[in-house]
Amino acid sequence: MAALCKVVSRLRWGLRFSPRRTVRGSFCSDSSGASGSDQPAAARPRSGFAAAFDLQSELRREAAGSSGSPSGQEESFASLLRRSPLIQMGPAKDKVVIGRIFHVVQDDLYIDFGGKFHCVCRRPADGEKLQRGGRVRLRLQDLELTARFLGASTDTTLLEAEAVLLGPLDVREPQSKDPADRPPEPAAVKSEVF
Amino acid sequence: MAARALTKGICGLRQSRAVSMGYFCGGFHYGTAASIKSPQPQADDSEKILNQPLEKPDFFRLSELFSVKDLFNARVHLGHKKGCRHRQMEPYLYGCRLDQDIIDLDQTVELLQQALNFTAHVAYRGGIILFVSRRRQFGHLVETTAKDCGEYAHTRYWQGGLLTNAPVQYGPGVRLPDLIIFLSTLNNVFQQHVGIRDAAKMNIPTVGVVDSNCNPSLVVYPVPGNDDTPVAMELYCRLFKMTINRAKEKRRQMELLQGMFPVSTENS
Repeated sequence: MAALCKVVSRLRWGLRFSPRRTVRGSFCSDSSGASGSDQPAAARPRSGFAAAFDLQSELRREAAGSSGSPSGQEESFASLLRRSPLIQMGPAKDKVVIGRIFHVVQDDLYIDFGGKFHCVCRRPADGEKLQRGGRVRLRLQDLELTARFLGASTDTTLLEAEAVLLGPLDVREPQSKDPADRPPEPAAVKSEVF
Repeated sequence: MAARALTKGICGLRQSRAVSMGYFCGGFHYGTAASIKSPQPQADDSEKILNQPLEKPDFFRLSELFSVKDLFNARVHLGHKKGCRHRQMEPYLYGCRLDQDIIDLDQTVELLQQALNFTAHVAYRGGIILFVSRRRQFGHLVETTAKDCGEYAHTRYWQGGLLTNAPVQYGPGVRLPDLIIFLSTLNNVFQQHVGIRDAAKMNIPTVGVVDSNCNPSLVVYPVPGNDDTPVAMELYCRLFKMTINRAKEKRRQMELLQGMFPVSTENS
């Protein structure tokens, strides 16, 4: 019986666009074969593309309908992590992100871009308007500066990230959510390195 | 009756009796020699105040103070690079992504819940809590947190005999902290803070935020989490402050209730 059904399903694939629906209906052994040709198309078990389309549209409907309920209370850590901008960004080398200056010491700007550490950049020659609270564009080099020195058992870390300052954020990009609500800043990553 | 008054009087003196944490009478750590004391029979109302929080697992409802999403937004799950990892932190790590360790927040939530619960119970019983952190970046934050909840902080250089040689350094009969909370278990040269070892020597329980390069073995209630980002540190400070304030409020409430409705003693 199972082998017959498998053959039938292969036949269905081949006969997908065949107008001879009655033939398909009669080969089906487990369902009511006598009335196979009389069944409406919706009640017949879908297969192939039709089944996949049904499944996907159902999923999409569920996602759209219940987009409010997984509001973080039910979302697991694994899914939060997988969807976080830091993970979606991939390797940090040469990615452009937006940072915010949170401390200034004469010529050094301490910039937080949403990673574990901040980065320290020197103020450029024309950077008079870069003050505390300003947003800047950075090209990341490394999320944490560490190195294993000779004779050490663990890496020595500088507790800093490394980035190249590209300039202030001139054009306000239309952002979907308020940046204060959204936790990390690599969300607004430009697409130039993808 | 007379015996009860006498025991109350003895407990009122509280001289040089260092007993373990679970007992009501004289449950303080002193710098002098320890002597274990058996628990005295107490009046029922004070017993009820002390025993009632122990009946429920989450008496102070601390699980509603934070969630996985709050920890995630505060970047608590970010650890150091793979090369900085401490071997004994491996059970607490979710994995390693592009050489950066990710701390498992599911475990962190449970351990943080236990740590906050313990802190609340210590604060409820009038214990002394000491916040310790040697990170200069967050020293002011830790000190203001301690001030806001009426407890103590030590964010400066830790002298060698601070806990172990206290009666000599600070005079006899000094009361030591009942709980030490380490907001960063490392000192400025990436070695374990001396206070962890000393607290273990003096039988003082510790709560510590351990990052992926820290040693969690001597900390009684380790909380695996990021200790380098200001957002994460502010979250911890806020949580500890809310916990301690909540516990103290609850104690005041319970004492007020007992004062208004005194429980009649069963064995008079």
